[in-house]
Amino acid sequence: MVSGRRSAPPLTKTDIFSLRSRRGASHCRFQKEVSVAESRQNLLQLYRFCFLMVADARKADEIFHATLREAALRTATDEPPRDRLWFFQDARWRCLEANEQGLQAEDFDVDREEISASAPSQIEKLEPEQLAIWISAAPEPQRTALALFYLDEFDHAELLSISELKPAELAKLLSDGREQFQAWLNAIRPIVES
Amino acid sequence: MRAALHRARKSEELAGQRNFDRAVAALVGAIPIPPDITEFVPPETLISPRPTWKKQVRHPAFLATGIAVAVIAAVSIFQFVERMNRFPGETTARRLLTTASSTHSMMLDPVKTDAGSLGDFFFMKHRLAHYDVPPKFADFRTLGCRVFDDEEGQRVAQIWVVEKRMQFFIFPAERDPKTGKANEFSGWRYVDQERWTGAVKEQNGVCFMAALRGSKRDLEPYISKRKE
Repeated sequence: MVSGRRSAPPLTKTDIFSLRSRRGASHCRFQKEVSVAESRQNLLQLYRFCFLMVADARKADEIFHATLREAALRTATDEPPRDRLWFFQDARWRCLEANEQGLQAEDFDVDREEISASAPSQIEKLEPEQLAIWISAAPEPQRTALALFYLDEFDHAELLSISELKPAELAKLLSDGREQFQAWLNAIRPIVES
Repeated sequence: MRAALHRARKSEELAGQRNFDRAVAALVGAIPIPPDITEFVPPETLISPRPTWKKQVRHPAFLATGIAVAVIAAVSIFQFVERMNRFPGETTARRLLTTASSTHSMMLDPVKTDAGSLGDFFFMKHRLAHYDVPPKFADFRTLGCRVFDDEEGQRVAQIWVVEKRMQFFIFPAERDPKTGKANEFSGWRYVDQERWTGAVKEQNGVCFMAALRGSKRDLEPYISKRKE
C-alpha cells in the first residue's frame, strides 16, 4: 500500500494551490483556526522525524513530501487529517517501509552504561547525522519511541498515540535507549579524565 | 505520587537524565532542514478544524444511530399508548365484535321492547345477575335478543336494537385467575375489529358493550351526549 505512495514525486507549490482551489470556501474557513506559525513548525519537525527514522536526507525528503501529498489529497476530498499526529503516524509507516528495503541492522545485544554526568558534553560533540544513524539503527518500536521523544514536540499521551505503545513499554524503551546510547557515546567519544 | 515526583526531582540520577535528554533534544533541533523544504512548506495548515456538533451529527454513524433510536422510541411510544388503551376483557370484546359482524336477525329471538327492560328478563329466564343495559342505552327499542355460550363457555347476552342496527353484548368481566375477583376498569373503552367498533363498560363484574358497524366517531355521540 505504501510502496505506491513512496514513488510519488515531491509535492510542488503548484500542486498545493491546485488542490486548494478544488476545496473551495470551506478550506478558507479553517485556515484561520490554526496558527500558521505552529503549522510551519510542526511540518519542519516532521522532516526531522523522518530524518531520525531513516538517517538519509534524500529518503527523509521523499517521505516528507509523500506525507504532505497524501494530506493535500485528503484535504481536497474534504477528509483532511484530523490532527497533526496524523502526519507523524503516516510518515512513521512510510519510514518503516523505507527502512525495510535498505540495509538492515543486525540483531545483537547492545552494551549499556549508566548515564554519565558528562553525557551532555559528549553529545555536544556529535553531529546530528550521527544521532540519526544511531536512532535509525535501533529496532522497532524503540526507533520510533526515541525519534518521537527527542523531537521534544509531543506530550506523553501523544507519544503513546503515535507510537502505539503502552506507558510501561515506552518508558522501558526510552530507558534502555538512554543507557545504550551512553555506551555508544563512551565508545566513540570517550570521557577524558582530567 | 506527588511526593515521589518531588523526591525524584531532587535526585542526581533524574537531573543527569534530564540533562542527557535536553542535550539529545538540542542535537535533534540542530538537524538542518533542506532549503527546498523551508521554502516549500505551505503557509497554511492542512489539518482539519475541530469538528462542530453540526458536522458530527451528519456523520453516517450518528445518523444511523439517531434513526435507530427514533424508530425504537416510536415503537415504544406506540406500544405504550396501545397498552394504555387495553382493558380487562378486551379479547372477549374483540371476539364478540366478530360475532356481531356475522350475526343475522333470524338468529335472535324477536323481542320488541326497551333495551333497559331486558335486564330483568335475563335474570328471570337465564339467572344472569347484573346483566343490565346502562341507562344511556336503556331507551333503545330492541329487535331481538339471545343468550349463548361463547368459546370460553361464558354466558353472553346479545341484544339487537333498531337504532343504527346496533348490537349490545353483556358478558362476564375478566377475572383474576388467583383471586377470582373481577378486574375492574372505569369509564368507556373503545375496541375495533373488522370494521366494527365497540364501546365497553364494566359494572358489578359484568361488561356491557355497544357495537355498531363503523368507527369510534359513530359511537362517540351515544357515549358522550346521553345522560347516565
